[in-house]
Amino acid sequence: MDIELIEIREFLARHPPFDVLPAQVLDQLPRNLIVRYLRRGSAFPPEVADVSLYIVRSGAVEFRDGAGNLCEKLGEGDFFAGDCHLPDLPADWHGVASEDALLYLLACDRLQQLRDAHADFSRHFSRSLNERLRHAVSTIRRTYMQDVSVLGIRVMDLVKRPPVTIDAGCSIRDAARAMTEHKISSIMLLTDGRLTGILTDSTLRKRCIVDGVPADAPVADIVKHKVTTIAHDASVFEALMTMTQLQVYHLPVMDGERLVGIVTSSDLSRLQSTNTAFIASDIRKAQTVADLAMSSRTLPELQLQLSNASATAFHIGDALSSLTDAITGKLLHLAEAELGPPPVPYVWVVGGSQARQEQTSLSDQDNALILADTAQPDHDSYFAALAAKVSDGLNACGFSYCPGDAMATNPQWRQPLRKWRDYFATWIDRPEPKALMLACIFFDLRAVHGDATLLAELQREVLKKTRNNTVFIAYMAANALSHRPPLGFFRNFVLIQDGRHNDTIDIKHRGIIPIIDLARVFALSAGLPAVRTVERLRTAAASGALSREMSENLLDAFEYIATVRIQHQARQIRAGRAIDNFVSPAELSELERAHIKDAFSVIKDMQATLDNRYQLGRFR
Amino acid sequence: MREFLLAPLPTGKTPCREAAIVALDLETTGLDARHDRILSIATVPVRDMAVVLAEAWQASLNIDGDLPEKTVVIHGITDDQAAGGRSLAEILPQLLQRLCGKVLLVHNAALDRAFLDRACRQLYNVPCLLPVIDTQALARRQHRRRDLPIKSGDLRLYSLRERYGLPRYGAHRALNDALATAELFLAMAAEMSPTGNCRLRDVMTRWY
Repeated sequence: MDIELIEIREFLARHPPFDVLPAQVLDQLPRNLIVRYLRRGSAFPPEVADVSLYIVRSGAVEFRDGAGNLCEKLGEGDFFAGDCHLPDLPADWHGVASEDALLYLLACDRLQQLRDAHADFSRHFSRSLNERLRHAVSTIRRTYMQDVSVLGIRVMDLVKRPPVTIDAGCSIRDAARAMTEHKISSIMLLTDGRLTGILTDSTLRKRCIVDGVPADAPVADIVKHKVTTIAHDASVFEALMTMTQLQVYHLPVMDGERLVGIVTSSDLSRLQSTNTAFIASDIRKAQTVADLAMSSRTLPELQLQLSNASATAFHIGDALSSLTDAITGKLLHLAEAELGPPPVPYVWVVGGSQARQEQTSLSDQDNALILADTAQPDHDSYFAALAAKVSDGLNACGFSYCPGDAMATNPQWRQPLRKWRDYFATWIDRPEPKALMLACIFFDLRAVHGDATLLAELQREVLKKTRNNTVFIAYMAANALSHRPPLGFFRNFVLIQDGRHNDTIDIKHRGIIPIIDLARVFALSAGLPAVRTVERLRTAAASGALSREMSENLLDAFEYIATVRIQHQARQIRAGRAIDNFVSPAELSELERAHIKDAFSVIKDMQATLDNRYQLGRFR
Repeated sequence: MREFLLAPLPTGKTPCREAAIVALDLETTGLDARHDRILSIATVPVRDMAVVLAEAWQASLNIDGDLPEKTVVIHGITDDQAAGGRSLAEILPQLLQRLCGKVLLVHNAALDRAFLDRACRQLYNVPCLLPVIDTQALARRQHRRRDLPIKSGDLRLYSLRERYGLPRYGAHRALNDALATAELFLAMAAEMSPTGNCRLRDVMTRWY
């Protein structure tokens, strides 16, 4: 090995895509390079005979479009492949060395040889950024699947013994005896070999001891016959969510029609990597707001654990939203217990990230009350009190009051269904800036407690109005373009449109919200009921409102950026700091930066398409 | 050697881009050409104002006698490595072949030229004559032209590179230093004639 060019070898080894080349190839690579120096202000690429890949060793190169806007800036370790007929930058962009630059040149034919021999390396130059992004996302998903973490485990892996069953015709005493014998807290009942019920310790306690049902009675008399089961190949995560949502502790495990075992909430709790089950069960058991606040304090820790277990942003959003729903539901139960039953049916709805199930721990609360149209003015005192209790409770649990007052405590957002219809009609017919701001909250609604049909009815009518409503959609689209992604990274800075640098990137407003906004535009214009961004993008593609390719690209971009955000917050939680959305480029690896930049490009493309489709220039 | 002496040399009007330039660095046991020895030699050509790494060359010489400790510390070349090298008689023809008809590019040329000259005289009994570009002399000239005071250390290879924003390399490896000198020359030439039409007479410090 020629160690004497080791400086150049080490430099290449530090920077993608060269970092993936095998050591012996890297050893030889410096000998394939030519070194050039460009004085500040010189045109880039320089006019030289050989066509090459350019690698910036030091200094900087800028690209501007025909109108002189800065579009791209290359710094140490960045490369330019435009001369090798690889799709890189638009033809009308011109480059200039913005600082004295030392460049390594690799002849295009040698680059091609390397690409032919090394698929991993080649992928970095792959035709489309879509392919690159897809690969990045599948890599994070694979890590998640392979991780020997709680979330990767299948339900079947937790089943330790064959199911203990008893004929449904037996007496309660026989069933209790069998449970004692096997030292188990539940037993499954079979009728003609089919699962027809489940008897648990708590049922025994309640029905026999409290209610006084005699032990000789048939066991079938005291069990619930509607049994929730789970498939043997479901993930532990699904089991956890089922238990949390349905408030059950025991889930029989089925392989098709066949009963193969049981998982209990304590099986799940024993898994060390998470305490979602603990939190969920604490929430169930809570008697006071203070109890709930104790549980919710563990949510940042849970987010960290899930993130450590390589869960993607989607799974974490699911888990946190489910638990927040559970807390909200419990607060409503507690409030109803205190205030008495509601005078008319109502539904408690949540907006924003909780509605989209994209929540990170402790976001602000956005909520509203939709009352049945039978509500009378004097019923409002009941609902005002209900809203105050729940909203204060949420605040005590760390979900701060909404700064924009989009809460059920605000009389404006505590109204009968007919009033809500009027609101939406006004927003859709007269899309003023204030209306558009509210739209971002109230076009993403989900029922958490109460009569969900009230919301379903409202949503159906709203979507009928927005569908193919070009004027309204154009306003929404213009609003969706108000958050633009940055150009990329330059050194340890975030490069933004006007050529200035930021120290950090607000990954929520510049990466996540733009995609959420785009997805909302497509859903409303196609009249789709989905609220989750992922579902909106999928159904938009299915309905033809969005091309399948663009939908997949946006999904990949969304998953990638959201996961980067989760990892950023995990680092903050680990360091004991408050979480935020400001990611410093220094936190990211070179590869992560490259992928995020690809994700930004997807957003920019889609924004440009929208801009074009609705002629949004006239709104600015 | 004869071939070497007969090779036509470039003239002052030759544009830098067309000149065949070879950056050279020697690592030696000390600073006195009469008593100290050459440990390793490295060259890298500069053609069309670009450094051609494919033709980078380096050789270690074996020397008799123990290496002074200070040299080992500076160059990191141990006795074992030096013993693994070849003799000056073996290496010198290869070196001259590479320098033949070229302009030598060295940082602080006096020292390296003294060693080369002595080697040629020892083996062939002739002086080693080469046109030379000395990046240190160029830097000194520029400092004077701009009336800048020269502090000790300012004209060192790695101080100058820093001034031109060039990356840090590990110093005192012959090939690293030759490459470092070549890159510094590209930067200085670009500064002197931003339009890129530098001529040899603008940068040359010595004609033989």
